[in-house]
Amino acid sequence: MKRSFSFCLAAVLLLAAMVAGAAPKSEDYYAVYAGELTTLNYLVVAAENEHSVIANIIDGLVEYDKYGVLVPSLATDWKNSPDGKTWTFTLRKGVKWVDNKGKDYAEVVAQDWVDAAKYIFNKKNASLTAKIAYDVIKNAKAYFDGTLTDFSQVGVKALDKYTVQYTLEKPVPYFLSMLTYVCFLPVNGQFLEKTGTRFGTDNKNVLYNGAYILDTFEPQVGRTLVRNDKYWDKDHVFIRRLSYKYNKEASTLGPELFLRGEISSVAVPSSLIDTWMKDPAKKAIVRPAETSSYTYFYTFNFNPNFEAQYEPDNWKEAVNNKSFRKSLFHALDRRAAMITAEPYAPERRLQNTITPRNFVNASGKDFVDMGDLSKYSKTDSFSKSLAVEFKAKAVAELAGKAKFPVKIMMPYNAGATDWTNRVQVVEQQLENLLGTDYIDVIPVSFPATGFLGATRRKGNYAMQECNWGPDYADPETYTDPFITGSNYNWPEKAVGYAQANGKTVYENMVDAAKAETVNIAKRYELFAKAEAYFIGEAFVIPYAIGGGGFTASKLEPFSYPFAPFGMSYLKFKGQTVMQKPLSTEAYNKMKATWDGEREEALKKSKY
Amino acid sequence: MFRYVLKRFSQSLVTLFIVVTVVFMLMRLLPLEGYFGDGYDKLSEEQKVAALDRMGLLDPWYVQLGNFYVKLSRGDLGTSIIYRRDVPVTEVIAPRIPYSMYFGIFATLLALIAGLSLGVFMARKKGRGLDKAGTAYIVLINAVPSAVYLLFIQLYGTSLFNLPILFDKYRVKSWILPAISLSLGGIAGYAMWIRRYMVDELNKDYIKLARAKGLPEKLIMVRHVMRNAFVPMAQYLPAAILSTISGSIYIESLYSIPGMGGLLVDVIQRQDNPMVQALVLIFSSVGIIGLFLGDILMAIFDPRIKLVKGEGSR
Repeated sequence: MKRSFSFCLAAVLLLAAMVAGAAPKSEDYYAVYAGELTTLNYLVVAAENEHSVIANIIDGLVEYDKYGVLVPSLATDWKNSPDGKTWTFTLRKGVKWVDNKGKDYAEVVAQDWVDAAKYIFNKKNASLTAKIAYDVIKNAKAYFDGTLTDFSQVGVKALDKYTVQYTLEKPVPYFLSMLTYVCFLPVNGQFLEKTGTRFGTDNKNVLYNGAYILDTFEPQVGRTLVRNDKYWDKDHVFIRRLSYKYNKEASTLGPELFLRGEISSVAVPSSLIDTWMKDPAKKAIVRPAETSSYTYFYTFNFNPNFEAQYEPDNWKEAVNNKSFRKSLFHALDRRAAMITAEPYAPERRLQNTITPRNFVNASGKDFVDMGDLSKYSKTDSFSKSLAVEFKAKAVAELAGKAKFPVKIMMPYNAGATDWTNRVQVVEQQLENLLGTDYIDVIPVSFPATGFLGATRRKGNYAMQECNWGPDYADPETYTDPFITGSNYNWPEKAVGYAQANGKTVYENMVDAAKAETVNIAKRYELFAKAEAYFIGEAFVIPYAIGGGGFTASKLEPFSYPFAPFGMSYLKFKGQTVMQKPLSTEAYNKMKATWDGEREEALKKSKY
Repeated sequence: MFRYVLKRFSQSLVTLFIVVTVVFMLMRLLPLEGYFGDGYDKLSEEQKVAALDRMGLLDPWYVQLGNFYVKLSRGDLGTSIIYRRDVPVTEVIAPRIPYSMYFGIFATLLALIAGLSLGVFMARKKGRGLDKAGTAYIVLINAVPSAVYLLFIQLYGTSLFNLPILFDKYRVKSWILPAISLSLGGIAGYAMWIRRYMVDELNKDYIKLARAKGLPEKLIMVRHVMRNAFVPMAQYLPAAILSTISGSIYIESLYSIPGMGGLLVDVIQRQDNPMVQALVLIFSSVGIIGLFLGDILMAIFDPRIKLVKGEGSR
């Protein structure tokens, strides 16, 4: 009897172990970091240092899955009104706010979204993400400005305990994607009031409803996040503990710490990659790091505001000549420039459009393959013959108007080694191809502190490498740097592009695309047309996407929420820490599988 | 003596007022966009104004300065506006001071003991092997950028002696290398100066006289040479000990020591005005007190030095 009982018990345990084995196993995660949090008040911050923690401790209405498809999170379902302006969300019941010890504080209810909005739209709180929300929510801007004092007229409402409703100023096709960002996260109003200005100042002054709890937080020492046992989706959180150690020299010490097994993941800097690639043992643990949706491009400045020695008036004459711009457009060898940052695989970061590939698609067709834009996305603009051809045209057209060689003042950030090297490469490459009798590229170094304020934002450049990151899942986000009021390259000041309504051809094309809010495929076609026009007129030279480089990492790739913007990609939900880091071959194999699965998932996706 | 202390105290207050006011004004000259970091391009004008208002930067400078001194008179150093948003400055600074002071005081003591011993031996064995080896060490420490040898010590020292690469306050072993690293510069400095002063003293007439009188060499060294050689160094000793409060930028960064090192640079870069003002006030006070104590210490070591003017004879 005793023996048979033991046998049964063993069988049960074995069965339990087999069932438990179905969930992926994970080691704990260890890391070093150099950028400390300034606050945990997620209602006011807009930087990645803070997002990296917030994304893991607070959930919103919806979230992205590992293929970039929007799926329910704290909202179980939602509907949009026929006019596209009203979104109504039904909340998941029984989700808890817990404190940093995991103790229940309150239930997450619809009023939490109203309280968060009220805080964000209160000007005194100086939320850095308020604009993103008040640009779309009805009456929110008026409330922020103080012209409206009755918050009940703002388009955020708790219809009942479990129903949140957003009313928008106009239909916003990408509204759901915005909900994954900080300014649409909930907050417990009672706790917010109780903590006052101390809200988010440490791990005790914030409540948690996400996958992790910030168990310890000592600024400039470290932090530990532990799995939230009361999380509504805890079955999909596999890493139990995330331990971070602060080190200001993390980028220098990281590789050594990884080799000693003290951390789980590290970016291998470009200065070390040669050494690692030549060592078979190290090469076996290095793999490409994921790229980002930051877009990099070279801009031509139509509002030159630089020193007389660089001849701003002469530049203004030259840059307003399309042939001159096209000569530079076709002369830039992206690959040569990229080798300064990506010596082993430069191609994977190069791009010929402003909007990156894989950013958005309509019915499975990538945005960059739509309409006129496809002709740019599939062709490298670098062409010696076209560059020389446009040079001849420009010389003829500018004869008697501009002085040759045209001085091209090109600022760079002296704090960035890659950039410092790249600017020399670009200078030599352009001058060798087009001739020093035609252009004189003058790299000018500026310190890292206040770099953009001293250069781009002041118009203190002729041609400069710039970048832009998306805010939501719509190609409109990549038009922002080039519309009137921005401080990138002032294309509205270009001669010959103004139309009857005072706007440029490009802005009118963008407005037409923005106006299409029902037919997404048509909307994207219109944005693609505008971007193709902008590139075709050589207002900028698209160059590359961000991220990339190499990493040595035990983190399983392609398993975390995927989104090309916001903070979803910083989540650890769904991820595991493997026992060994992946090799490049294994990574590429996994990526190919993921690419295929993603394509299918996007085709099936409703959003 | 009391008059001297009172006079120095008054001078110190004026100096502090000037330093803090100048720094206050300089911070207001920095570009406004520095208060917003990377997100600047995505903010509306209204948001920028709201943020500046929250930081108290929209008032005229003299109102801001007045507010600062009124708060200071109540012992309120303000709250951080960027570095640790809404956290009182004292809460940010206070936990960090002990780390820098523990390491700094230990390193200063180690540097004093090792550096003075080395310098004395070098002076006594001038021109011989030990003197040459000591000089080589001093040249190495001063000529090679500290970032190079400190990183070398960290990477190879930790693997050679099986020590942790990063500081952990609960692991005593992790304190060893940063403390030693922190003292290396001090050892070289004290050794160099004590050697120099001792060599100078050894060539003076009163030493020759002492030798001619037949005083034992050991007595000459300890009672005369070392005592006189130490006087110029004594002046800087209190300042050296007190200034440990400011920490070491590079060593604390390398070993993840949560001290004061680099904090001032960080907050200047982030344009966190209340933090900058508080740190400047603390560091300036420490510097002034250190110099004052140095004067007193020098007078104790050398009775010929008077801190107050005597009437003299006519």
